[in-house]
Amino acid sequence: MVGLSVGEKHFIQGGIAQDLRSDGRKRLTYRPIYVETGVIPQAHGSERVRLGATDVIASVKAELGKPSALQPDKGKIAIYVDCSPTAAPMFEVVFALAGRGGEELSTELSLALQRCLLGGKSGAGAGIDPASLVVVEGKVCWDLYIDGLVISSEGICSMPLPLLLSNTGIPKVDVEAETKGDDQPEVSISDEEFLQFDTSGIPVVVTITKVGRHYIVDATSEEESQMCSAVSISVNRKGHICGVTKRGGAGLDPSIILDMISVAKHASEQLINKLASEIAAAEASEEES
Amino acid sequence: MRGLQLPLSQTQRIRLQRAFEKLQSLSSKANSDASVTVADTIPVNYEDAFLKGHGTTDLNGELVATVCGVVERINKLVYVRGLRARYKPEVGDIVVGRVVEVAQKRWRLEINFSQDAILMLSSMNMPDGIQRRRTALDELNMRGIFEENDVVCAEVRNFQHDGSLQLQARSQKYGKLEKGQLLIIDPYLVKKSKSHFHHLEQFGIDLILGRNGFIWVGEHVETRDGMVVDQANSSEQSMVLEEKNQTHTPLEMRQNICRIANAVRVLSTLGFSMDADLIMETVELSSSLKIDIHDMIGSEFHVLVAEREAERRSLMGKRRR
Repeated sequence: MVGLSVGEKHFIQGGIAQDLRSDGRKRLTYRPIYVETGVIPQAHGSERVRLGATDVIASVKAELGKPSALQPDKGKIAIYVDCSPTAAPMFEVVFALAGRGGEELSTELSLALQRCLLGGKSGAGAGIDPASLVVVEGKVCWDLYIDGLVISSEGICSMPLPLLLSNTGIPKVDVEAETKGDDQPEVSISDEEFLQFDTSGIPVVVTITKVGRHYIVDATSEEESQMCSAVSISVNRKGHICGVTKRGGAGLDPSIILDMISVAKHASEQLINKLASEIAAAEASEEES
Repeated sequence: MRGLQLPLSQTQRIRLQRAFEKLQSLSSKANSDASVTVADTIPVNYEDAFLKGHGTTDLNGELVATVCGVVERINKLVYVRGLRARYKPEVGDIVVGRVVEVAQKRWRLEINFSQDAILMLSSMNMPDGIQRRRTALDELNMRGIFEENDVVCAEVRNFQHDGSLQLQARSQKYGKLEKGQLLIIDPYLVKKSKSHFHHLEQFGIDLILGRNGFIWVGEHVETRDGMVVDQANSSEQSMVLEEKNQTHTPLEMRQNICRIANAVRVLSTLGFSMDADLIMETVELSSSLKIDIHDMIGSEFHVLVAEREAERRSLMGKRRR
């Protein structure tokens, strides 16, 4: 990351205090988000999202599998985020030295996503309802593998969570015959019909960065160098909080976190609308091409 | 059309493509600029005498490109300019750089060149303005003049025998740049012109177009008369530092700085050469259309600027005839 002179730092802080950032944005405005859908044809759903210099590809693959014995009426979901060494020089360098570089960030992001999408241990409060993934209770269910690849990143905090599942089509499954007992029922996967996934419960992650006494969303790497601390809050469409992660920086007073949560709720509304329109536009252009 | 990373709607895409096609057709060069990849033949009239420049080679009697880039022709010289090439300095260029190291009797600056440029202590005016020999005390106080990560404006003085660059900041208009923002664009967009320092009076803003692609947009600083040596001055300076912690740039000036900075960003995304007049026109276009500062980096404004530029060039072409 390039260093900043004292004058520039002062300029950035002054901008945030006056609600006019370096590129003219308000404190709670996002940069233009560029969404492309269907970038990986082999996956059931995929998306590439660009926000500033951050570039992320996410995909969903669904396979038939057996539900776990503890939760026979629920499907399984696995989430993993990979930070490629080309994402930022720091990943590459540490990668070579200790072999770990991007892995720490990968695990941190994977855990954060799992927490907000999958809910608690009992499955309560999950963004994706695992019960909708079951095909035959106790025997066959869908395994969803959600993978993210960070191609380039500008600042750790500015990872957008793509609403990729909106264009995921899970193939319709026909159950062949009723079998009794422990026999595996035969299922045929239809190639033509797809069930659209219910995405109304999926949360969006909003990262609030505290600079001085003010909060901003979507910080550029220069603004991030000035931050006191940052909190990532995932909010779903209904305005419910699905997860909170504090990232780096100084310690925070609890009242500030509550404050940030209310700011996040407000910012998430416009972000959800913006993403929805972008995805609709991307899908429309994909159909045309 | 380059893969612009902008969320363009279908109509915007068509408009942008049309504007670019118009600009290409207006390009006055005979064998218009072609983009080439490695091993592409370069369209040249072999009967004319021409000089083979960088990025080309003679293969089986044909002129072939060795890098991916754009063919540039200057008089008889034909060369290929790489797309993400670093800055190629010339003596006398004005550059804006960032200090990366404070070394013995010199500062090392990063200027988007293959090596760091060197600014010698002796090539820098002393704060008290007296022309004198630099003493050991001056050397110890180098950090008081420039620190790490400071943004400095200087002029290219010469090349050293080992290929590294030497800068000088002798005149009052060079020196540390504060109270503003630095923008980084491709170096080939800044062409050599009579003046790279632009003081935009109506905004009270300094615009410095560094030939290395570093553009500085900031509050106007009066060039201090170096000859004034005063006790009062030095105490004033320490006061100013404290004040800085309290006073920020006024909102209106900040809005102007952001507008100009966004104009530079838009022009660099579209690939147009940087020119103070063009930047001012873009700013006027945005304020006349009452476009919000933030919306200037949105797709609609990019398309408008491209269309406006195509119109402007076609008008210029007609006027010439």
